[in-house]
Amino acid sequence: MSASAADWGSASEIPDLAGAVAIAGVGEADHSQASGRSAREISAQAAERAIADAGLTPRDVDGILYSAGFGDAFDARAFHQHFGTSHEIWESPRGGATVQAATAPAAAAEALRAGKARHLLNSFAVSWATQRSQMVGGPGQFHAEERYKASLELPFGWFPQPVYFATIARRHMIEFGTRPEQLGSIAVSARRHANLHPGAVMREKKLSLADYLARPMLVDPLRVEDCCLISDGGGAYLMTAPERARDLRRPAVTVAGVGEGRSGTGLYWSQQRDFCATPQVFSAPAAFAMAGIRPGDVDVLALYDPFTIVSLMQIEDMGFCAKGEGGPFVEGSALDFDGGRLPLNTHGGLLSHAYVLGISHVIELVRQLRGEAAAQVPGAEIGVYGGYTGHMASTLVLRRA
Amino acid sequence: MKDPDFPLPDTTWEGTRGFWEAAAREQLAIPRCAACGRFQWYPRERCRACGGAELPWTVVSGRGTLFSWAVVRRALVPAFASKLPFVTGLVALAEDPAVRVVTNLVDCEPEALRAELPVRAVFRPLVFPNLTRSVMAPLFTPAT
Repeated sequence: MSASAADWGSASEIPDLAGAVAIAGVGEADHSQASGRSAREISAQAAERAIADAGLTPRDVDGILYSAGFGDAFDARAFHQHFGTSHEIWESPRGGATVQAATAPAAAAEALRAGKARHLLNSFAVSWATQRSQMVGGPGQFHAEERYKASLELPFGWFPQPVYFATIARRHMIEFGTRPEQLGSIAVSARRHANLHPGAVMREKKLSLADYLARPMLVDPLRVEDCCLISDGGGAYLMTAPERARDLRRPAVTVAGVGEGRSGTGLYWSQQRDFCATPQVFSAPAAFAMAGIRPGDVDVLALYDPFTIVSLMQIEDMGFCAKGEGGPFVEGSALDFDGGRLPLNTHGGLLSHAYVLGISHVIELVRQLRGEAAAQVPGAEIGVYGGYTGHMASTLVLRRA
Repeated sequence: MKDPDFPLPDTTWEGTRGFWEAAAREQLAIPRCAACGRFQWYPRERCRACGGAELPWTVVSGRGTLFSWAVVRRALVPAFASKLPFVTGLVALAEDPAVRVVTNLVDCEPEALRAELPVRAVFRPLVFPNLTRSVMAPLFTPAT
């Protein structure tokens, strides 16, 4: 039933940028439930904090990366409006979160190499919790408006994302014997990490495996606890050349590898040949090769985790275990920061930290590699982020400088 | 979600009109390449396998196997609240299991569903509260 990896997707060509970019500053906005703030206001707060973290001023920022796919982006114009600046800024829409939280450094490497910018800020924010209370926007809207989905999926209630991923989780259970308590261990570990993280939306809410199993099904086989939060929040990270980063105030973290993969069936998840896989099968090997590492070298992992099953599939697809063995691999405390075999989403992830679409995943990895995370993995030297949007995946390898 | 008939399909849209016209006749139809004979799902202007541009809607048996499914127990979309719980999932067609049709499983307890269960199409109108229009659609039930 499973197709070979080669025939349902592909890896993107990304020029080697190992060691060409460093992350010198990170900043998170306040993460919350509905706050009434706009995404642009949230981005501005994250930007202020990232710039201050790097020991720079807004005038030093001469490169801006934002997301092309989201409105209300924090582009150069918004930057100037917020900071009252007017200097020349190079900008690119190849930034933001999700997949681009990993690939923005590739765009930054080009700008650095061409001398177009020296200090580049990548930011992302959403105000989906505020928007949801107003019944506009949010993660489902795009899919509801896509015409084939609107005609062939929505009329049957195969919508929105929890339904897609419940169907994928069921098939994973069918093919590989994956069990609910294995998905639950991913949710429980994420919550435990969020309980330790000062900025996490679920900081005060505990979750045990027994709690998880006692919770009702939302879309069987998924419970609410298998699904990400809907949040207002955002983050930013500041990139520069490694030699420049050494002069700045914080310990630098170097970009060692970047990868990107895509599915040949695009956003039509119902038709993806290898139904229980993610394009990490194309992305991760490319990023690991660029960085010269193997999965076993990774000290701390951060995966885009809209649903527990998406973490499980990416763990398999990135080569941390064989395909189908993700369930047994994640059991118990395997993903915990303190002694787990593969510490995952040590800030709580999209499941329990905040649904800011991966930007905080990268920020958390930087903090881990600086040795200043709330749930610190002792001696972490290599951190990996796996981004995902369904039809695409990306991989970012970070190394302590 | 601006369509006033949401979540009913626009049965006149060219991209999927053949599917809904066949359903109105209580048939299941899938585009099939006239050149190489392969089914093409979802519909595309050209055959993914051979590039053929002629892809007539072709009636199939309506038989298949249950590939995977989800039991929706809470209303994620208000329009479906009156249907809870309901089963939505993917049926792999007998003629080509790579063709997965999104559908509802009906006349069957969710607990009785299992992987690769043989199923057959039955045709029922999709009806939603507050909508006067309804659309005949291929749903699936265990084959006997």
